[in-house]
Amino acid sequence: MTPRRYAAATLALAFAACGGDKRASNAAGDVGGTVVISLVGESDFLMQPLISTTASKMITDQLFEPLAEFKPEMNTMGDKGFAPRLARRWTWSPDSLSIAFELDPRAKWHDGVPVRAADVKMGFDLLADTAVHSPQASNVAEVDSVTVRDSLTAVFWYHARSLDQFFTAAYNVIPLPEHLLRNAKRNDLKSDPFAKAPVGDGPFRFVRWVPTQLVEVAADTTHFLGRPKLDRVVFSFATDPATAFTRVLAGEADFIEILRPDQLDQVRKAASLQAKPYGGLDYGFLQLNLRDPKRHALPNALFGDRALRRALAMSLDRESMVRNVYDTLASVPFGPAPRSLGIADAKLRQLPYDTTAAKHLLDSLGWRDGNGDGVRERAGIPLRFAIAVPSSSRPRQRFAVLLQEQLKRVGADVTIDQLELNTMIGKLMNRNFDAALMSWHPDPTPSSIRQVWTTEASRAKGGLNFGSYESPLFDARIDSASKARDVEQARALYHRAYQTFIDDEPAILLYEPELVAGASKRIKLVNLRPDAWWADIRDWSIPADQRIARDRIGPGRAAQ
Amino acid sequence: MRRLLAARAAQAVLVVAIVATIVFALTHLAPGDPFAAAVAGGQLPPGERAALVARYGFDRPIAEQYGIYLRNLAHGDLGWSFSRNLPVAATLATALPNTLLLMGTALVLSLALGIAAGLLQAARRGSAIDHGTSAVLLVFYSMPDFWLALMMMLVFAYALPIFPVSGTIDPVMHEYLGRWGRIGDRLHHLVLPATTLTLLLTASIARYQRAALLDAARADFTRTARAKGLTARAVLLRHTLRNSIGTTITIVGLLFPALLGGTVLVETVFGWPGMGALATSAITNRDYSLVTASAIIGAVMTVAGSVIADVLTALADPRIRER
Repeated sequence: MTPRRYAAATLALAFAACGGDKRASNAAGDVGGTVVISLVGESDFLMQPLISTTASKMITDQLFEPLAEFKPEMNTMGDKGFAPRLARRWTWSPDSLSIAFELDPRAKWHDGVPVRAADVKMGFDLLADTAVHSPQASNVAEVDSVTVRDSLTAVFWYHARSLDQFFTAAYNVIPLPEHLLRNAKRNDLKSDPFAKAPVGDGPFRFVRWVPTQLVEVAADTTHFLGRPKLDRVVFSFATDPATAFTRVLAGEADFIEILRPDQLDQVRKAASLQAKPYGGLDYGFLQLNLRDPKRHALPNALFGDRALRRALAMSLDRESMVRNVYDTLASVPFGPAPRSLGIADAKLRQLPYDTTAAKHLLDSLGWRDGNGDGVRERAGIPLRFAIAVPSSSRPRQRFAVLLQEQLKRVGADVTIDQLELNTMIGKLMNRNFDAALMSWHPDPTPSSIRQVWTTEASRAKGGLNFGSYESPLFDARIDSASKARDVEQARALYHRAYQTFIDDEPAILLYEPELVAGASKRIKLVNLRPDAWWADIRDWSIPADQRIARDRIGPGRAAQ
Repeated sequence: MRRLLAARAAQAVLVVAIVATIVFALTHLAPGDPFAAAVAGGQLPPGERAALVARYGFDRPIAEQYGIYLRNLAHGDLGWSFSRNLPVAATLATALPNTLLLMGTALVLSLALGIAAGLLQAARRGSAIDHGTSAVLLVFYSMPDFWLALMMMLVFAYALPIFPVSGTIDPVMHEYLGRWGRIGDRLHHLVLPATTLTLLLTASIARYQRAALLDAARADFTRTARAKGLTARAVLLRHTLRNSIGTTITIVGLLFPALLGGTVLVETVFGWPGMGALATSAITNRDYSLVTASAIIGAVMTVAGSVIADVLTALADPRIRER
């Protein structure tokens, strides 16, 4: 068949498709249209206590309203940075150990039942109930209980005061319909139909889930905060990033959350696409194991020495590495808190890139190249170690090669150990490694640093402080910061903790990627939040003159 | 014939049992566990990981896990896919038909095209048509399957946006199309992956078919047929082709594992939600039950392909049927 005949066949197919439309939209203005979001990976559940994938989080955030939402400045300490959503106001108890949330009486579940305080309690109870085994249970550990004061007032009771109290309630607890879940078997919640076909109270309502393919949500046109501008959003699943990107490139999807540098070039060249940077919370680092990989009670023969870690850090030109791998799409971190969090401090004292000073420091520590093979030794031990890197991450593989090259110049012999991700994580969990190229995505609150760098995270079984960095000074400063009475005091204490971290160099912070989304130019994107680009999908729109066939079908479509 | 089928069935059971054991051992002996990456990614608290490991029995001795696995397998229970939160059987039930559709289409089309090309070449042996067809077939024969898939996508989905890049249907539009629209949508999505596989398989079949036809053309029965005064066309279609088709069917049976491997790659490139995509995702997620079940299905399909080829050969050749 010639290309012309192919085109004719396709045209005929398009006509057949149009002829088969069950409905046609007459929407106009900026209300209406469909956005197809191309995702890598699939949702697991659509019910907050059960979800463990980012795709699920993106979708449930469209289906359910939080009590309050933080503003674009991303100040999550205290309640000043939050705007009302399901709760129209809140009051703190005099001792600050409880917060009473007064719900908006207009809010309704998508089955028409009003949202009430009992639903807030249900949301918390399911999260905290050990029978549910919620992956997010630890996020609400500081909440003792939630009680119902009256039908519209739910009260959160806390074990202790902290600057995260409000964040915990507003961000981590999503109210769930008590009238639909009161009889659910909590030890088998995953089998409940609600887990995969929920009734929410958010700007979009659930329409359908086609396993391995998509989840479709449609506008709740009677939503108490106003209907979303889009008629529907389709989350389309791909098994790999290349397929997800190709769908956007071919016009089958409208949005992809992350573009690689090479994909960014393609998007910039494509007339129909736009690139939209939005920060991000990730940062990457060279994790050093401060304990002996075989005998964990002993310090690591190399990285147990703080001065050696500092010398290695000084021998690395991190700026050039970041340019090499990410071009302008990443920066060298200021500290163990990403810039988008708003608490990162550009004034922290950094170790300079100075290979001469690094060599002098290594000499002074007794690490010298006695046999002229280019590798330093001390007491018969060579300055030699392996960097574990996941085979699935191209940027980290490139960083590993650059690290190897730069460390060779100061007399360190590095081998690169490419491992399948699960295998690598298994070794990290068992603390059985020398060094590893890691990436971390923290929660959008400064206290999330506890999850990876504190003594508690080092000693807990399966804890994420893989390098076993244990600093009483760092721990104390983080503790003080999270318990501070005001935001400014907390900010200062966090900065002092970050400085302790940089001075100790338990890991060499390498890069902080600037995430860039790719989208069709017909979509008017509004405020892609660094921690959750999907937070404001309700405000995205498609001008009437830019709409295509898929904008004119489906449920939730706008009526004039 | 019955003995042949019985022997093949016994072999099939043995092959599947060996494959299941090897895949079980390889997946379970690899370091790490399915939940490690989720913990490191912050999606799963460390305590919950331990609970999940215990719930799925990954903390038990491997011999015990193997015993449980064999017992369940004997009862037809393929296990639970924790990456999909579904029984493995239900997961396979959605993927397998897609793969069979793709493979079946490619097999039928490539058999038809391959035999036709072989006939054309044999009938015009030594001519420009024979040499030209051989050259074209050689290009497809030596072409890596994933590369051809990518080129097809680049040309017909991106440069000339005629066909969709992935999936079995347009998930956004399909639900809202009429009956003919839905059928058209499905066919539209089938074109690129099926054509890719067809081109790859046609090249092999045509080459073998041509060689088999030329061998048969030198046989005594062909000479007899010509001596009877039959036309060249009648000799070729009624005698030479019929006597050479058995070789092609046998070759197709032998090509079946390669077709399956090619399908995995083509499915991955075109985002076709079949067994290939399922197996790839299962391996990435360390979904032990799904990985093992996918391997078993692959083994069953390979053995079934071989058995079907044997049966068809026997049906085409009375000499084999009577043995």
